[in-house]
Amino acid sequence: MSLRLRVRFSKVGKIRFIGHRDVARVTERAVRKVGLPVAYSQGFSPRMKLSFGLALPTGYESEAEFVELPLVADAVRDGGAAEPGARHAAGPVIVCRGGTHAPCERGLPSTAPSYCTVAGALSEALPVGMEVSAVTLVDGRGPSLQAAVHTCGWQFEIVGLDASAAAKAVADLLAAGTVVTERVHKGETVSSNIRPSVEVLQVVGCSDRGAVLSAELSATPRVVRPSELVPALAPAHEMGIARRTHQWTSGAAGRAEPAVPAMCAQRHKEPISG
Amino acid sequence: MTTLWPRLEPLLPRVSKPARYIGCEDGMQRPTAGPHLTSWLLAYPDTYEIGLPNQGLQILYELLNERPDASAERTYAPWIDLEAEMRAAGLPLFSVDTHRAAGDFDIIAFNLSAELVYTNVLNCIDLAGLEVRAARRNDDDPLIGAGGHCAYNPEPLADFVDFFVIGDGEEVVSEITEAVGAWKRTGKRPGTRSTILRDLAGIEGVYVPAMYDVAYDGPALAAVTPKYPDVPALVAKRTVADLAEWPYPRRQLVPVTEVVHDRLSVEVFRGCTRGCRFCQAGMITRPVRERPAAQVREMVTSGLERSGYDEVSLMSLSTADYSGIAELVRDTVTGGNITAGASNTAGADANRISVSLPSMRVDAFTVDVAAQVSRARRTGLTFAPEAGSWRLRQIINKLITEEDLYGAVRSAYSQGWHRMKLYFLTGLPSEMDPDTEAIAHLAAACTQIGQEYTKRASVTVSLGGFVPKPHTPFQWFGQNPPEELARKVRLVRSALGRNRRVQLKWHDPAASTAEGIASRGDRRVGAVIEYVWRKGGTFQEWSERFDLALWEEAMAACGLSLDWYVYRHRGEHEVLPWDHIGAGLHRDFLWHDWQDALAGHGLPDCRWTPCYDCGACTEYGIEHMVASPVAPNGGSQGTGQDLATGHLVPVELRPRQLAGAGAPSGGGA
Repeated sequence: MSLRLRVRFSKVGKIRFIGHRDVARVTERAVRKVGLPVAYSQGFSPRMKLSFGLALPTGYESEAEFVELPLVADAVRDGGAAEPGARHAAGPVIVCRGGTHAPCERGLPSTAPSYCTVAGALSEALPVGMEVSAVTLVDGRGPSLQAAVHTCGWQFEIVGLDASAAAKAVADLLAAGTVVTERVHKGETVSSNIRPSVEVLQVVGCSDRGAVLSAELSATPRVVRPSELVPALAPAHEMGIARRTHQWTSGAAGRAEPAVPAMCAQRHKEPISG
Repeated sequence: MTTLWPRLEPLLPRVSKPARYIGCEDGMQRPTAGPHLTSWLLAYPDTYEIGLPNQGLQILYELLNERPDASAERTYAPWIDLEAEMRAAGLPLFSVDTHRAAGDFDIIAFNLSAELVYTNVLNCIDLAGLEVRAARRNDDDPLIGAGGHCAYNPEPLADFVDFFVIGDGEEVVSEITEAVGAWKRTGKRPGTRSTILRDLAGIEGVYVPAMYDVAYDGPALAAVTPKYPDVPALVAKRTVADLAEWPYPRRQLVPVTEVVHDRLSVEVFRGCTRGCRFCQAGMITRPVRERPAAQVREMVTSGLERSGYDEVSLMSLSTADYSGIAELVRDTVTGGNITAGASNTAGADANRISVSLPSMRVDAFTVDVAAQVSRARRTGLTFAPEAGSWRLRQIINKLITEEDLYGAVRSAYSQGWHRMKLYFLTGLPSEMDPDTEAIAHLAAACTQIGQEYTKRASVTVSLGGFVPKPHTPFQWFGQNPPEELARKVRLVRSALGRNRRVQLKWHDPAASTAEGIASRGDRRVGAVIEYVWRKGGTFQEWSERFDLALWEEAMAACGLSLDWYVYRHRGEHEVLPWDHIGAGLHRDFLWHDWQDALAGHGLPDCRWTPCYDCGACTEYGIEHMVASPVAPNGGSQGTGQDLATGHLVPVELRPRQLAGAGAPSGGGA
């Protein structure tokens, strides 16, 4: 059975300015540094088979990025608890960090939330600002992350707007039947009604730069970005820092996230960074 | 010393490639500042993605930060979009490490890898909030330094730079740190800037232009003489004798965004004595100093493990000449299995380490080396025959035969490559049309060989216009004007006919002219650089930003002649602008080699044959450090081949008449 490691990671601070392809390169190097037994493509130029979720716009922060790492066939060792850091002939075995958790079945992170050796080692190998908050083991079959996510949760600032003005703008937008915005797509200006994509929108507070809003925006048929809302909410103002907080999929018991941070959740409680 | 990050951050969403400005590399240091530390800002005057991989800058970055009395950060030229935002917001040039203002540093030191970055040097000084002309800066302003290969003719930048470092920087930066530190502790009092400059001028390998008088005789340079008795008349280069003592960089910077050489680099040797007469690097970096094989292996292994890279470049001016190169490549490729710890992940080769060998001589690219390299992902292959005909290759002393080239090409195609790049220079001394056209014939013959192995066989021919460089035997040669270089490109193109397997690329001939102005310019050229900069001529290395008309306008405005500075042949006794800079080479050696070139006489590699006393070793009491007594991969050179058979075609250099009037060199028309 082919198994994948699903990794949830953050992207906050200065590192928010690297692009999606940069994230892929940085992740590939981190996986090699940790020595995870990840599958490569075949052929003359074997590449690591990483699959990322929805691309995050450059400059946005996130605490909910996902990447799946397909494991090689013999990466999973059956039976017994593995010792932390143990290696076998096929390379390092993925094991739980000793002490805080009971060893998972087969010495691997189970699908239950866990913070494992892998998470710690990957965080260590990634640049500052990219931290792994959850690692789960999932079956190799199933839809791609990109296809499964239907809604993203966001938090974003509107620079220089106070909370009461923001609250009024939010109420007006939610009351409107249509909200037409323009964006440039492949060199052409496209206008579209984004009102149906706005599932939740509210003011959650203030930062030293302005109002902080949270939103849930649909990701299908395309990902609507907070930056598209700002001209409709406050045309004279710029968006400050925006952060993705969640990516939602449909699960058997209602909506769910592809992987939920557990032990390290506290790490991400700081407000939107400066 | 406060960080400028809060002011920079809001600008970044508005510019292209904001990751250029954030630092965050693996290996980045966050040095502190303080009165006890001499702080260096190491500046690369081009974009981040060009400058970040520079090994010289990274070596000094580590060495300085290891010193208890120094700190070093880095900066790169901001692209024009950020520059506009910075100027509008009043934000000065900043370091990418801690985002401190450039003006807060004690020294801003520029790496000069190419002449066309000179206008960017001025722009960076200006963005730092400083006067571009050294004489107008304040006593407590940062000192502006410069080093790198272009510093071997410092004169075009002499009015803007306080001090130049000639040669290897590893040792001399310590001496500069100590001198500047002592000055800093006295408070950089008013009137003391000239004192520190004079102190710096006393350090071996340091050139302080303000300490010299320049005299002219009409358009000619008469003399460059020291103003004071304690200032040396000849500034001799610094050379580190043993590379084994300098295993740097130990922690190569691994960037978070794409850069031009995004791989591990390990310098396997420094210097080259193949003696190619056009090659400045091969002349000024002598002698050959190999890094011990065990140290190379250690640096490769630890570097890969630390960085997560799966590709390593074995760096030098001619890597196939490294003693034991085939074994080194083999061990590097297979060593990846040990490093990554998995041999049976997906396909046997998934975790192999790719090896890239820049500067491969064709007479050393054997089937063995090709087979070793191809065991991992195949890296791009570039061969540099430099000239199309054997006659011309003898003139330039690039002594590889057609058979050598075909052998290398066959090795590559037989080991699975489909395409390769062939690099040539045009506008070489004594080049005649048949020499130029021979480039097309060589390329076509290579694709013929390729078709024996693959239907997809092709080659890319890349043509560069030759720009004569200081401290080489060709420093006396008059450069081809752009029209002539363009004509030679057309000549190759028409000789290629409809051969679809050969793709032709060429360097803009107009850019070669601007490069020529700065390459062999004297101090008067500084005004030209300032003019071009003031008219917005930054990033002249970038074709979309380059404009020859601006340079021509600047030359005219400064009353200088392109013909005098670029196109004219120099005479044996002419005072050259870099005569007071010592690269270790005897001037009469260079002149005789120039005469030998014109006579078509080759010169063997002194690594494996008797010394001909160019001066590089004898003047400094140092020697080659090579592990192999013979050329590691055989090849034509250094194997007893008769080198003195090139004078079948008579060569004569005729003095040029006027710029643009006919052929620039003998027999070109």
